[in-house]
Amino acid sequence: MSEITLVVNGEQRALSVAAETTLLELLRAQCNLTGAKLGCDVGDCGACTVIVDGEAVNACLMLAVQADGRNVVTIEGLAGRARLHPLQEAFEACGSLQCGFCGPGMILSAKALLDAAPDPSAAEIRDALAGNLCRCTGYTKLIEAVQAAGETIRAAATGPRRAAGQE
Amino acid sequence: MKRRGRGIACMWYPIGFTVSANPSAAVVMVTEDGTATLLTGTVETGQGALTVLGQIAAEALGVATDDVHVVSGDTDATPMDTGAIASRTTYVTGNAVRLAAHEALSILFDTAADMLGVRPEQLEARDRKIQVKDFAQRSLPIGEVAQRSQVVLGRPAVGAASYNPPTVPMDAQTGQGKPFNTYVYATQIAEVEVDDETGEVEILRVVAAHDCGTPINPMLVEGQVQGGIAMGIGFALQEEILFDDAGRQINPNLTNYIMPTSLDMPEVQVDIVDSYDPTGPFGAKGVGEPTLVPTAAAILNAIHDAVGVRITALPATAERVLAAIKAKRTGASARLSAVSADTIAP
Repeated sequence: MSEITLVVNGEQRALSVAAETTLLELLRAQCNLTGAKLGCDVGDCGACTVIVDGEAVNACLMLAVQADGRNVVTIEGLAGRARLHPLQEAFEACGSLQCGFCGPGMILSAKALLDAAPDPSAAEIRDALAGNLCRCTGYTKLIEAVQAAGETIRAAATGPRRAAGQE
Repeated sequence: MKRRGRGIACMWYPIGFTVSANPSAAVVMVTEDGTATLLTGTVETGQGALTVLGQIAAEALGVATDDVHVVSGDTDATPMDTGAIASRTTYVTGNAVRLAAHEALSILFDTAADMLGVRPEQLEARDRKIQVKDFAQRSLPIGEVAQRSQVVLGRPAVGAASYNPPTVPMDAQTGQGKPFNTYVYATQIAEVEVDDETGEVEILRVVAAHDCGTPINPMLVEGQVQGGIAMGIGFALQEEILFDDAGRQINPNLTNYIMPTSLDMPEVQVDIVDSYDPTGPFGAKGVGEPTLVPTAAAILNAIHDAVGVRITALPATAERVLAAIKAKRTGASARLSAVSADTIAP
């Protein structure tokens, strides 16, 4: 077993993990964060996507020990006490999810994109979501929601008054 | 060279299934606080069925969708439902919900008629009230009427109903009958670009016009159509289960079974055709499975329009399309060679 420390959703955690434990297993079994889904377990479907040091990664392909000393954000870390993250609000308002299994991974891939490029083109959004498979929606309303969330985030950055008016 | 083409395909599709009975049942209860509870055996799989059923109950009772608490998919607590299959939930289960709501409402109308001094048939349910038709000033909050029904008159506002679409068996001699009670219709148009040197097909745009009756929730209808088109695109160009000689699937994983990603989706334009089916709940029929029925046909017709070849086996992979293009060229040059002694460049 190895001792690792990492930040999960803003909280410092010290954990003991076996060498073969994936980050996904660590999050789901030891941290009780089941938002990241176990889909294919080989990095094809993106249902396990989390953000590690600002980058969207497949948590099923990363070993827990590789996350030692790093900053991990899961879907559970997005909503505040008062309100959802703008991406979550936009996904709800646009009817973007159907069965919802791809949702946590999809939203985190979108967040990693918007954190890096707050005003992405439709092509950049398609590219950022390309590793997240969705069988229900045809992706159209997912892309619309990322665009809408980007607008909300940009409006909030330019002034709180305008942002409040957009809610 | 990339060549552009357009293809069109039309379809009809039956709502519900036939041969055996196809019923749904529902219970609607109106409580003293003016909210309602709907019990249905159907299940939500993400298509929005419970939203739509809640909307149907709310519309029938004249309350807001948020006032309806939907309990579903638990045979311990709900009546049976034939299932979330055959694109039948909005139509069949929706009709059961509408009828159950009317049962509950008829109790409330009886109660309110005495309170308002009118006949029950002069009443309507609207804006969370039971009111006299064309005379909205004479009204009572629906919760107050439910309270009196239950506590004073001893008739709780509970409605239970079922719906089984009427059908006529097919005559074995003539083939005549009425296997389904209603049908939906759709036309889809695909615009594609085909590279005639590689056989690769790119779908640029799909326009889909669907008659689903009156849409109870247009946003959910759009989501169903967009999702169906994605599946249709996979069916047309990408998805294929491959077997070895022993019948074992050789691509039982998402690495080799290729389904559409966000990069494979074209611009999709959804047009919901203005329609009303008098046999459906508030004019609605259904939209689930029909959404992907015409997609592959429209795409293959577009490939034909672009490069003049008919693809008759799915998926239309680049290999298959290129082979068809080459066969067409070979056939054309062979015919030309037979006419002239000159060598014809391919």
